[in-house]
Amino acid sequence: MTDIPWSTEPIIRLNDVTIGYKEKEPLVEIPNLEIFPGEIVAIAGPSGVGKSTLLKTIAGLIRPISGSVEVCGKSFPNRPNRGELGYVPQSLGLVRHASVLHNVMLGADSGHNNPIPFIGFCFPSSLAKKKAIQAINSMGLEEKINEPIRRLSGGQQRRVATARTLAQCPDLIMADEFLSELDEKTIDMVLGEVTKYVRSSNAALLVVEHDITRAKMMADRLLVIDDGRINPFITEPTAMEVKI
Amino acid sequence: MKYFDRISRPSWLVTCVLIFLFSIIILNGMINDWGRASQGIGNLITFFNESLWPPDWSVLEPQAYPVCTVYPSFMDFTCSTAWIGMLETIKIAFVSTVFGTILSIPLSLLAARNLNPSWVSYSSRFFLAAFRSLPSIIWAIFFVILVGFGPLAGVLAMTVYTVGYLGKLQYEAIEGMTKVPLDASEAMGLSKFETAIKVVIPESANDLISQAIFMFEYNFRHGTVIGIVGAGGIGYYINLYLKFLQYDKVIAYLIIIFVVVLFIDFISIKARSYFTEEIDLPRSTWKSIFFPPGLNKR
Repeated sequence: MTDIPWSTEPIIRLNDVTIGYKEKEPLVEIPNLEIFPGEIVAIAGPSGVGKSTLLKTIAGLIRPISGSVEVCGKSFPNRPNRGELGYVPQSLGLVRHASVLHNVMLGADSGHNNPIPFIGFCFPSSLAKKKAIQAINSMGLEEKINEPIRRLSGGQQRRVATARTLAQCPDLIMADEFLSELDEKTIDMVLGEVTKYVRSSNAALLVVEHDITRAKMMADRLLVIDDGRINPFITEPTAMEVKI
Repeated sequence: MKYFDRISRPSWLVTCVLIFLFSIIILNGMINDWGRASQGIGNLITFFNESLWPPDWSVLEPQAYPVCTVYPSFMDFTCSTAWIGMLETIKIAFVSTVFGTILSIPLSLLAARNLNPSWVSYSSRFFLAAFRSLPSIIWAIFFVILVGFGPLAGVLAMTVYTVGYLGKLQYEAIEGMTKVPLDASEAMGLSKFETAIKVVIPESANDLISQAIFMFEYNFRHGTVIGIVGAGGIGYYINLYLKFLQYDKVIAYLIIIFVVVLFIDFISIKARSYFTEEIDLPRSTWKSIFFPPGLNKR
């Protein structure tokens, strides 16, 4: 765990929030949750407890059953400004028939405020393209830049989705199991790049991770969802500690 | 559990037999004189022997006027009514497919329920259904009244029908795409327009191209008919010879149409095989398209 110079204004603020798809079947109740710029927070828990649903609710894709959800200073149903929120869904959400560059450019375009929106989107600026190429290179995909996504392996596709978010330069990155299907060396590389970005640009990273060991390793704060509640992770005493 | 899973196999059989019997009862109610149906075969044999066969292949010979100036002389079939009519039909089908595809894409993007609120998608669907509700031949009659005889009426009629028909295929393909890329775009803050251009169209491009090729094939087949009402193409000549009771020429045109339709179908199969979803599927070879599977084994 590292010491982070916390900003006073949280980037995510949840108050008395209940999340779920159906009003009668709430998944998680969150009395209070605040995540600050520069912070890396991991959420762990068994399958089906609502980790991904929580991310979707914060991303504004699902309406909370009750409570207030504030992201980047905007309360739901208002959305964060264009490009402020980067989201890597569990199923990645890549355009399978398009190239790696096309997919990463989506992120770069959304993070780049073009003076003329329509023209700017059809003819992206060289700055956006530079950002996209930089993100692709940082994920070690420079040789795959023109390959269609469907020809890439699962792990490479995850790196493309991460590159898309990095190219966006968001204030908040939300990633749903973005390190699965990757080998240890690639995990170090991807995690290193994402952490470097978060620390250098004072962004926040909220990540869903089912591997508790990895979650503890990467995060400043680990939250566990269990039995419909979200709690800080408390380390269980090891066998050695029990003996002492 | 789906409803159909709950029906046992004997119940399926009974249901199918009942549906068949029901259709026989309906048919019996519509037909007063079954004897006429039995006379049909005899009539067909007489008509075939006395009027249809052999085909009059003079339709492939150059017209008397304007004088054919094509050189070398073996190419003079390009001055024949069959060639001119067929070429015009292909041109009508091609142009109307291109125009129809261009016009149907925005409408189908608006009609897709996964991209728009219900009131937008249902309004767009209303237009698409209206264009599709009339067959192309009725649209052809309508445009012949508006712009007069000739291929322009054919192009307009086929374009309108293409918008309605292709639009439906397109919005169903768009609605079939997975929701996750749309979620990712929405979370990033991309606008609906940007999502449509940069996510939806590339993601469903294979389906859209394959459907456009299918539509060309469809328009060609229907383009042979619209000429009957004066909207250009080979149908014009078929109608002409039908009026003069020259059925041997009509059958020659029909055989030519059949051969060209078959050829375009085969090309369409090959072209569409380049846009199949799964790259692991073996792509059709020309041999596999033109010959039955038994003849393809090495």
